[in-house]
Amino acid sequence: MGALRIILQIVGIVVLIPAVTMVTLKIAKQDADGPSILFPGGKLISGELHTGPEPDWSFTDDVPTIELQLVDPLSSRTIFIMESDGKVYIPSGYMRSTLGKIWKDWAFQADAGDGLAVARINGVRYERQLIRIKAGPVLDGIVAKLVSKYGPGATREAIEAGDVWIFEMAPRGA
Amino acid sequence: MTMKNYSILCAAITVTVVLGVLYIPGLSDAIEQVVLVFLATNAR
Repeated sequence: MGALRIILQIVGIVVLIPAVTMVTLKIAKQDADGPSILFPGGKLISGELHTGPEPDWSFTDDVPTIELQLVDPLSSRTIFIMESDGKVYIPSGYMRSTLGKIWKDWAFQADAGDGLAVARINGVRYERQLIRIKAGPVLDGIVAKLVSKYGPGATREAIEAGDVWIFEMAPRGA
Repeated sequence: MTMKNYSILCAAITVTVVLGVLYIPGLSDAIEQVVLVFLATNAR
């Protein structure tokens, strides 16, 4: 009985430490001006708000990650970005796995909601609308850029099967 | 260990972990990198 109690107490501590760590990180980041590496942040506040004509998005080839904030629900995360054929896209992987469904809840929210978002790239904020791209020849260019920029893994088949979701970051009202 | 002492130990660990995560420079980033690798490896 005594040995079982000691084992349970050790297990409790082993569970307690990562649980407290995750909860602390999540709470500490949730109202921040932007996300951390993994945990969502709050509203993107700092940075000039872009106005005027569409930029030449090819500059994002040199940008590893951006900060993306949904308007509803209001939260932000760090994410990859790809430019293809003058338009700009973001991916969300692991969409059919259990962990992915928890980790990438923002993608489900963006797809189910109005898709209004703000992207902060190199310190400049862009008001955008997320439009999911499920199929079509446009995927070839997107996949090519995704693979060349971030390494192999994503395929057109994976996107069409729903394992990887692709959103175009379109201008609002487009 | 009695339940009282165990509760005190858990409380002390909780406080230590919270303060460490919040105030040790670079610790939170390091933890997030480890979790990110874990997720990228297992979320398939």
